[in-house]
Amino acid sequence: MTMNQNLKTALLGSVMMAAGTFASAETIEIAIGHQSMCTDTYTAGIVIKELGLLEQYLPTDGDYADVEYEVTWADYSSGGPITNQMLANKLNFGVMGDYPLIVNGAKFQETESLRTLYVAGTGYNLKGSGNAIVVPVESDMYSITDLVGAEVSTPVGSAAWGMLLKAMQDNGIPTEDYVLKNQSPAVGAANIAAGKIDAHSDFCPWSEIMEYRGTGRKIYDGSETGVPYLHGVVVRQDFAEEYPEVVEAFIKAVWQAGEWIREDPMEAVTLMEGWTGVEKEVLYLYFSEGGHLTLEPSIKDEWIDALAFNHGVLTNERAIPPLDFDAWITEDYIRAAYEDLGVDYEADKASIVDPVAANEGLPMEIWHARDGISSYETLPDFLTAMAEMQATGALLNSTYVYDSETGLKLFGKTAFWVKAGEEYATFLRLGEAEAFAEANGGAVISFDEAISDFVIEG
Amino acid sequence: MAVLTTLWQDFQASWRRMVFFGLVFALLFQIFMMIALIVRFQNFPNYVTFYDWFGSAIHIVKSTPSLRDVGPIIWEEWLIEIGYMNYDYGSGISEWSLNVVPSRLFVLFILGACVSLCLTLLKRDVCGAGASNTMRATTGLGALMVAMTNATMSWVVCCATPSWVVGLAMLGLGVSTSLALETMGPLLTYGGFGLLAVTILFLAWQKTRAQALSNMRFANA
Repeated sequence: MTMNQNLKTALLGSVMMAAGTFASAETIEIAIGHQSMCTDTYTAGIVIKELGLLEQYLPTDGDYADVEYEVTWADYSSGGPITNQMLANKLNFGVMGDYPLIVNGAKFQETESLRTLYVAGTGYNLKGSGNAIVVPVESDMYSITDLVGAEVSTPVGSAAWGMLLKAMQDNGIPTEDYVLKNQSPAVGAANIAAGKIDAHSDFCPWSEIMEYRGTGRKIYDGSETGVPYLHGVVVRQDFAEEYPEVVEAFIKAVWQAGEWIREDPMEAVTLMEGWTGVEKEVLYLYFSEGGHLTLEPSIKDEWIDALAFNHGVLTNERAIPPLDFDAWITEDYIRAAYEDLGVDYEADKASIVDPVAANEGLPMEIWHARDGISSYETLPDFLTAMAEMQATGALLNSTYVYDSETGLKLFGKTAFWVKAGEEYATFLRLGEAEAFAEANGGAVISFDEAISDFVIEG
Repeated sequence: MAVLTTLWQDFQASWRRMVFFGLVFALLFQIFMMIALIVRFQNFPNYVTFYDWFGSAIHIVKSTPSLRDVGPIIWEEWLIEIGYMNYDYGSGISEWSLNVVPSRLFVLFILGACVSLCLTLLKRDVCGAGASNTMRATTGLGALMVAMTNATMSWVVCCATPSWVVGLAMLGLGVSTSLALETMGPLLTYGGFGLLAVTILFLAWQKTRAQALSNMRFANA
């Protein structure tokens, strides 16, 4: 062996050793785009991030035995920028609402070489709660039909915009009969507080934030459109094909996040308030039993129909590319994840929670600042407890009742109360409350008046 | 051919001025958008984020299989984001932002350079004041068409995808008008540059003709 050959052998050996070291210490970068101001994305975003759930499920054996993971999270105010970052391959996963999801799939399919896959949901509301139309609290508008001739703002391109268009159509209000303004949630909420706009339509949890802060009042809930409101997870197809087990791990983490919230909603929303800055009392309206959000990631046929409907709205109003749903939506990863978890996917997929039926008979709740949440089977029991607590000067975070019409969970202070004889009922809207009162010989009263019926003098 | 020669001579004589005007135009347009946002929303920017544009561009080239897809993706990459973060809600939500996008800066630079060339040719224009005013108006219209389709103002409203028309909507353009205009972005850009190109060629042709006439008079004298 000549000296030259020796040198070549040594060099080759060094290169191979270096290559071997690189291969054995491969780092998989997992970048996730989420939205901490959008409640319905939390189980695929902030909860997984803060509890480190993804790390718990990431594969560590077989091909992944020597792999290191670098998980990064990026918080966005809306879904659009997440799609752009996914296109640039700076994000592998994106978590967003139904309208941005559709745009995500369509924009990727518009390219020659890139695709995303819709691999899981995060949660849903069967009828569309989460979107709502709000008016200033002092407004004399109580019904969507009052919006004829009014100025209504909404984030155009969002699910709330789609809901608004459908709600107006359903109620026979043509577009020329109201002035539609494009407005961001924060500006819309500020305008509602200042009474600068007649009404504002927005997505979760903006309407409830306005209600909780006492600046706005719902006159229309998204559930009246009957179109499911859902959020989900998309992943770049090239990433999913290279690391399918990582995608499955992410879906397991989504499922686990839902379980964690269900286990103790009060504790969960208290922590989430710290992570996101959104008031825990507002979050409880979404994440508690009977709340607006059903946490369950399966992909149901009804969801695909809803997404197709939303795509139709977007196609009519904006020039968005076509979307091949069959190529975009896949259940392969979620089925594999459920199988690993030992959870029955078909059972989850077949189960659909309808708030009207599911919330029937659920107890009313009072959130005491010190003692936590207590439940009451009947409205008189609830009102008695309220009277007692108020008598002691107790600090109450919030109270929760249900709309008799839709089963929707409401803040006690924003509900319309009806007293008919010794019976009480609560409603989201004044119209239904008045109709109920008239039919039952009762009257619409305020929350304070209802409580005062149970105050024991002396 | 004579027209192109005239254009080339003018370009050679004033290219420094064109580059300077192009850079100033691109910069002034960013300042204009910022002032418009401050006036519209009544608050000053309170955050700024810098992005590694070159790193992102390299990453996109490396990770995008089709060369055809690379351009449009890099086209949307940001260099700087300046905006107003509203901390009244959650841990803060960006109420509005101005995005400095290199691809748009480049378009605005070209636009500024074209306008500069038009103005140079107009200065030497030999036709009457009425015709000059028409040319100035055409130049202005072309510039406006290109500039407005390269506005890079944005807000959370862009749940779908940020587009040029969002900037106009932020400044008060109605929803139906903005939605109707949205698809016309490329058409307006090409139309604007087309107008500028026609104006430049027309002015160069006039100048060439005037020079030829002058030469003829000189020869006949």
